[in-house]
Amino acid sequence: MPLHIFTLSWLMLALVAGSLSGCATPSAPYRPPWTGDALVDGQHAVSNAPPKDKVMWQMITARSALFQKNYDLAEDLLDDVLRSIENRYGKDKEARKSRKLFQDEAGKFFIGEPYERVMAYYYRGILYWMAGQPDNARACFRSAQLQDSDSEKNEFRNDYVLMDYLEGLTSLKLSASADSNYMRATNSARLAIPPPYRSSDNVLIFTDYGAGPTKYASGAYGEQLKFKEGRSSAREIKIASAHEEIHLGPYDDLTYQASTRGGRLMDHILANQAVFKSTTDAAGDAALMSGIVLAHGRNTQEVGLGLVAAGLVSKIFSAAASPDADTRDWDNLPQYLTFGTMSLPPGRHILTLRYLDAAGNEISNLTRTEYIQVNDSPKDTVLYFSDIKQQIP
Amino acid sequence: MTEMQSDERGFVTGTGIESQDLVSVTDKMARSLVNTPEINDFSGMPRIVLDPVINNTRFPIQQGIFLTRIRTLLNSRTRGKMRFLARERMDALRAEREMKRTGELTSSSDPNVQEFKGADFFLTGKLDGQTTRTSAGTSDYVLYSFQLIDARTSEIIWEDFSELKKQGLEDASYR
Repeated sequence: MPLHIFTLSWLMLALVAGSLSGCATPSAPYRPPWTGDALVDGQHAVSNAPPKDKVMWQMITARSALFQKNYDLAEDLLDDVLRSIENRYGKDKEARKSRKLFQDEAGKFFIGEPYERVMAYYYRGILYWMAGQPDNARACFRSAQLQDSDSEKNEFRNDYVLMDYLEGLTSLKLSASADSNYMRATNSARLAIPPPYRSSDNVLIFTDYGAGPTKYASGAYGEQLKFKEGRSSAREIKIASAHEEIHLGPYDDLTYQASTRGGRLMDHILANQAVFKSTTDAAGDAALMSGIVLAHGRNTQEVGLGLVAAGLVSKIFSAAASPDADTRDWDNLPQYLTFGTMSLPPGRHILTLRYLDAAGNEISNLTRTEYIQVNDSPKDTVLYFSDIKQQIP
Repeated sequence: MTEMQSDERGFVTGTGIESQDLVSVTDKMARSLVNTPEINDFSGMPRIVLDPVINNTRFPIQQGIFLTRIRTLLNSRTRGKMRFLARERMDALRAEREMKRTGELTSSSDPNVQEFKGADFFLTGKLDGQTTRTSAGTSDYVLYSFQLIDARTSEIIWEDFSELKKQGLEDASYR
């Protein structure tokens, strides 16, 4: 091939590359320095991660704070998360950019997929209840359910069992009616049906277990957001005190919730970007091949050079198109959520938590005891337990 | 960072309860309450206790903030027309009185005389909400209602309300 063909080609390449230089190039995801203390690492990440990822780190760190019973920190982080979720309306420059052909979806401010937002409200609701504010807890459970209201199919909308169940129980505690809540909760139940309310019970136990779903990108160009199923060796829990034993089933399954949302509007945008990427890539290949062949002919050399240049431009546009789905996720969520109540006299008590597998056998290495202090009436004692004591971001 | 007035709508907004709503609602309630005949014609000084607002919306709120602002407005603008009782401080007040009774602290009056006042009225309120959500965004309606209840008869002697509706559209990238 004559030297001037190469010269022209590289000149075109440089020009187009220059024109696309403003496009986003995915950078390596931020990782906090690992100290082994999830709260230290998480708070470092909240302060130092790119602003677009801050909410994700706040979510992760909030759950680490819950594991460590650092409820004040969890409250602060979740309050900030909820503000970000609630204030997402209106014009958002970064969100608008993330829809553009040459920008990553992950360039937008992270507020999570609906199942992640639901969990932020859910945990904040638990903390409000712990603080003796059942009406604010109810507000959070309502908002949690609302986050699940834009699933593609009707049958998967507002179908968290616990959000309805807990809205009902908080209403009963506030002397309001809860019949429709219980009915909705039982209608949504797939894995286990929650028991009828015992509104006079004074010990309210929230537990969750297993490792929740994770996101991954699928499709030829990573344009499809998919969810890898969460896992849990435990299926049910038995909690025993000296006075009674309760049996808790998995009322909500986060993998199910994550994967039944259906198509997002953003999926269509990314699919179109993937088509663009694929088409420009194929057109670039065809133009390059034809151009190189024609450039060797004495009479077709100019046409050939033009085709080579066009092919290069097309290839560069294809390479610059960025249809990757946003796979940032709240990576320490549980697989199953459950809840139960007990009636215990005020004072110190010992609870034994036994986790059972799908066959009903006890998973002995998960069994543990918790020492609790039951409040004097009328304040309820709200407890949160997880099967994982600490998670490293 | 931009400093703003509390009744100004900021550029970071949602469809929830915000400071400008708090200001407009409590201003309206304080103006309405102060013109209540039962308060104006009360023989002596009416004593009022604040009973926490019930939140029946989907938005968590700082529970005392509405009544605190109403109380502060009334106290600062209608000096001497009514008295509010500091029931949320009763633990500290009882402890103080007990220390005076035991002689641990000095007292300008006989600490054994019961001087904690009873309420003539309860001022309370409720926030109710209704939400509509579509794939494009969210619409939230909040009804703020406040009542003054006669502590002796349980009669509601004054009631007023304010209502606000907000809508927010989500960027397509979050849908």
